[in-house]
Amino acid sequence: MTVHTPTQRLRATPTADWIAAIRARFPVESHLDEVLTRKLENRAHPAEHRTDFDNLAERLGTYLRRVTGQPDLELARLARLSGGASKEQFTFDLTWRQDDGTRATRKLILRMDPSESIVETHRLREAQLLRAMWGEVPVPEVLWVDATPASLGHPFLIAGFLEGTVQPEGGKKASGLGMYFEPRLRDGLKDQFVRHLARIHTVDWRNRDLSSYDRPEPGTVQGNAWSLGVWERVWHEDTLEAHPILEYAADWLKRNMPVVEHPVVVHGDYRSGNFMYTDDLRINAVLDWELAHIGDHHEDLSYTASEILGCPDDSGTLLVSGLLPRAEFLARYRDYSGLPVDEGKLFYFDVLNAYKMAVIAVATSLRTAHGRRTHLDAMMNLLSGFGYISISVLQRLLDDAPSAARRDLRKQFG
Amino acid sequence: MGPEMSQFLSGMKKTMEQVVMPNLTDRFAQEQAGIVAATLGFLEQIHDKVFHYELLENHLYKNLLGEVVALLDGATPPQHEVAVTLVALRTQLATGNSDAHLRPYHFVRGANETMKEHLCTLIRNQPELPAPLRESFDALLRPFFRELEVRERAWVKPLGFDAKADELPDIDELLYRDGKLRLPGAL
Repeated sequence: MTVHTPTQRLRATPTADWIAAIRARFPVESHLDEVLTRKLENRAHPAEHRTDFDNLAERLGTYLRRVTGQPDLELARLARLSGGASKEQFTFDLTWRQDDGTRATRKLILRMDPSESIVETHRLREAQLLRAMWGEVPVPEVLWVDATPASLGHPFLIAGFLEGTVQPEGGKKASGLGMYFEPRLRDGLKDQFVRHLARIHTVDWRNRDLSSYDRPEPGTVQGNAWSLGVWERVWHEDTLEAHPILEYAADWLKRNMPVVEHPVVVHGDYRSGNFMYTDDLRINAVLDWELAHIGDHHEDLSYTASEILGCPDDSGTLLVSGLLPRAEFLARYRDYSGLPVDEGKLFYFDVLNAYKMAVIAVATSLRTAHGRRTHLDAMMNLLSGFGYISISVLQRLLDDAPSAARRDLRKQFG
Repeated sequence: MGPEMSQFLSGMKKTMEQVVMPNLTDRFAQEQAGIVAATLGFLEQIHDKVFHYELLENHLYKNLLGEVVALLDGATPPQHEVAVTLVALRTQLATGNSDAHLRPYHFVRGANETMKEHLCTLIRNQPELPAPLRESFDALLRPFFRELEVRERAWVKPLGFDAKADELPDIDELLYRDGKLRLPGAL
C-alpha cells in the first residue's frame, strides 16, 4: 500500500517520539503497554513472519530439557494445528518424569505468538489467568510459559491438550462466529455455557496471582477507561486509513463511560468457537483467554449476546452463541451470578464491543496482512469483510439506538 | 488487451478449486487454499469498480468538508487544531482535484485519505466546540455516516460474511445510475 500522509508513514515506520506520544495519549494496563510498545518497535524493523519451523522441535526440546532439568525427556509428533487466527498452535507428545517420579507421556499444545498478531496479548497474562481459573471452570492446564522471544523466537505457552469438539458437524461459519448447534446440542450445552460465564465473573480474583493485571478501583470508570484505551490505542497504531465513524464512536464512548461498581474477571471473547465439549455434552474447556482483563461484567454479557456472534434457530429466533435466546441467557446469568444486569450498561458495551470488533478486523488484521507478519495473511485480508459489518453495527447503534436508552445513560451516568 | 482481468481471476479460482484443493492432504493447507479461492472470487466481482468507488468517495468527502469548513470557520482561535485543520482543508478544497477522474488511482486514494484524516481531527475536537455548532456539525455527519456504512457494507458483501446480505444493495446500485457513476450534486 502506498503511504499518502505523514500519519500513515508514522504508523508504518514508528519513530521513538511517535511511540512515546501514543503511549501517553492512550493509558492502558502496564503489561499491555509492554506488548503494544514491543509491536511498534518491531514494526520499525520489518521482517516477514517465517512459516518455516524446521528447527522448532530442536529448540522446543532444548527449552523443555532446561526447564525440567531432564536431559532424557522425549518429544515426538510435533504437528501444526489449523485454525487459530491469532496464534501459531502446535501439538506434540512429551514423555518426561512427573512430580511423583513416574515417567509418562502426555499430549501437549504449544501456543506461540506470530510476528504481529490480530490481537497483541501477553502470554504471562494468559497463563496466570488460566491458573487462576483452574478448578473453577474447565480450562487447559498450563505447564510452562515464556513471555520472551528468547527460547523459540516468539513468546509462547505450553498447556495440556484436551480432546473435544469446538465446532459441531455442519455448524461452521467464518472464524467460528455465529455457530449453529442442533437442538440436542443446545439442550445439553446452554446451561453450562451460562453457568461457566457466571462463575468466571464471581471468582474472587483478588486472592489469585494475577500480578500481570492492573487492578481497577471499584466505583470508578478506571476499568472501562483501560478497556477503551486498549482498543483506541490499537486503532491508532494499526489502521491503514482513517475512519470517521470510529473516531466518532471513540468520542461517544468516552463521554458515556459508566462506572464499574464491582470489577470482575472479564473473559473478553466468550462465545461459541471458544469452548470445547465432549461426546456426552460436557463443556470440558473454556478457551482463548488472551483478551481477559479485570473490568465490568456487562462487557462480557454484551459481547456474548451480540447479534453478530449469534445464530438463528430454525424459527428465526436469534440465539446467543447459537445456544439460547437473549432474554433466557440474561435471566439465567442473573440467577447463577447474583450480579445485576443493567440494560443501559449493556447498550454502552454493545457500542464498545462493535468498536473493538471493528478495530480487530479492519485495523489490526489488515495491518498484519499488509506487513506479511502472520501465517494467515490471506485470511487477515478477508476478515475485513467482518470488520466493515462491525462498523455498520457501530454506526447503527449510535444512530438508531432508542433515544430512551440514551436518556437512561445520561440519567445514570451524567 | 486481453485477457480481461476477470478471465485471469476466474481461471485462477477454478484451478485452485478443481485442481489444487482436491489434491491437498494437509488440513491447514486446504483451509488456506479455500481462503485464497474465496479471495479470488471477491476480486473477480469488485476489481473493475475500485477506481469509481474512490472517485465517489472523493466527491462525497469534498461535499461534506466544504459544508464543514463553512460551518466551523472562526469557531476557534487560529492556533487551535480545528482552525489549523480548516486552513489545510480550505487549501485542499480550493486547489483540489476537480480533475480527479483524470488522475491516477493512487492520487485519488491519497487525496481521500487526507480528507478522512482532517475530518477525524475535527470529530476528535468537537467536544471543544460551542454546543450549537456541535449540534450542527453532528447534523452534517449523521446522513454522511449512514451512506458510508451502507456503501462499505455493500462493498464487502461478496465476501459472504453478512447474514443480512439480502437487505443490502449491490455495490453497482450505489455506484451507478443510468449507466454512469453517480456523483450527487455534480453536473
